[in-house]
Amino acid sequence: MMGGRAVGVLIALASGLAQAQSPEALGWLRKIQDATQKLSYRGTFVYQHGGRSETSRITRYVDAGGDIDKLEVLDGVPREIVRTRDSIRCYLPESRVVKVDRRTAERDFPALLPERLNELARHYDISLGENRRIAGFDCQAVVLAPKDNLRYGYKLYADARSGMLLKAVTLDSSGDTVEQFMFTQLAIGPVSRDMVRPKQDARGWRIEDSAAAPARLAGWELSSELPGFHKVSELKRRLGESRPVGQLVYSDGLAAVSVFIEPLAGRRDPVRTGLSSMGAIHIYTRQVANHMVTVVGEAPAVSVQRIADSVEFRRPH
Amino acid sequence: MNDKISALMDGELDEKSAAEMIDWVGRDGDALRVWRAYHLISDAMRDGCLLSDGFAARVAARLSAEPALLAPARLQAEPRKWLVLSAAASVAAVSLVGWLAFAPQRDAGSPQPQVAQAPADAPVMRPVVVDRKQPVIVPLPSGTNDYLLAHQGFSPRASLQGMAPYVRTVSDSAQESTK
Repeated sequence: MMGGRAVGVLIALASGLAQAQSPEALGWLRKIQDATQKLSYRGTFVYQHGGRSETSRITRYVDAGGDIDKLEVLDGVPREIVRTRDSIRCYLPESRVVKVDRRTAERDFPALLPERLNELARHYDISLGENRRIAGFDCQAVVLAPKDNLRYGYKLYADARSGMLLKAVTLDSSGDTVEQFMFTQLAIGPVSRDMVRPKQDARGWRIEDSAAAPARLAGWELSSELPGFHKVSELKRRLGESRPVGQLVYSDGLAAVSVFIEPLAGRRDPVRTGLSSMGAIHIYTRQVANHMVTVVGEAPAVSVQRIADSVEFRRPH
Repeated sequence: MNDKISALMDGELDEKSAAEMIDWVGRDGDALRVWRAYHLISDAMRDGCLLSDGFAARVAARLSAEPALLAPARLQAEPRKWLVLSAAASVAAVSLVGWLAFAPQRDAGSPQPQVAQAPADAPVMRPVVVDRKQPVIVPLPSGTNDYLLAHQGFSPRASLQGMAPYVRTVSDSAQESTK
């Protein structure tokens, strides 16, 4: 039995070496990225995680004056998120709140530039998978298999013609699906400006502005970085109504993990230390130096926990 | 073959040969059946209480159905598989010990708990290894959607997937934690 497993690992290694980083597969990632930026579309997609499934509609309007994306939840309460060049607004009708997160050029989400793709190839074996028809589109699968157990694997299905991503599956180390996003219907093509306006008029709603701004969080650092994860951002912001927090972000080029640091003083609720999860997201909370540290990331529990455990405060000189 | 099994039963083999024979009986289905048959004959001749047909198989099945076997991880690798008996099965297991493992224990000096060797046809059980670093599992923290909204913008996945991952921010699961 052990012998069989060892042979299996050898075969996996050998095929991994043979297929790893095929230029064709890297080309597909670039194609998906281009399509994500350049195409206008409107479609219905399903998000599945842990036996749950939620249906949403997503609309993207591409315009020289600034692209606009809108996501509407179709099941239950009609929550919406609208992203423009400058901000992300989250409309929550049940609490009559608009959450606003401003975007600045330097903290715009990192694009997968060619050099980043090479970085990605250090942590994942990237290869082409099978062809499959999804929501009427003939799709090509691109497989990102992690080289260690600190990150998830991904299977991305892109429309063979346009490169548009139709389905994304996140896989754990035993190959089980952790979560998946899949379009069940999609129309690629021109979208009107009206289609990306929020449906909620939100007049009289409370506005919660994150007031996020780059900042140096003096004294806070990781005693050791997780292999492959590097610090990509450091900022201060507000969470919810008023809680001021520091945020450190680490990424391996595909997955990201945020470390939130909040003072314990003046907190209403007791801190619940421990691990929770939702789909591929793990959240680990612990106390460090009179602060609550909450680590949030689309990474396996072990990674989120290791980052959380290495957070430390050294009094700055 | 049968002579050797008989000799083993009668205690006529030296320690080394006996150990080899026990290993072999444990591995070889035919040898095990002969071993059982000889014991049955021996019990019948001594007017002992006879066990019903398939007794050993039923005990093995009961053992494998027992929940929560606790076996601390062994430091040195040893190829033999041991079953730690749970309380409910121990009465039956005493008979099993009598049937299958009455030969002297090979390493009587080692601090092994009372164990019976698994019959060859019983499913192999793996010790449950408990990771001491297992974290406490808690519900999603209050304000999970705030954390997700703050985090999502930094995920490089957005450049492959656009807005889709933001659905987590307004997911029912994240909302429930806020109420």
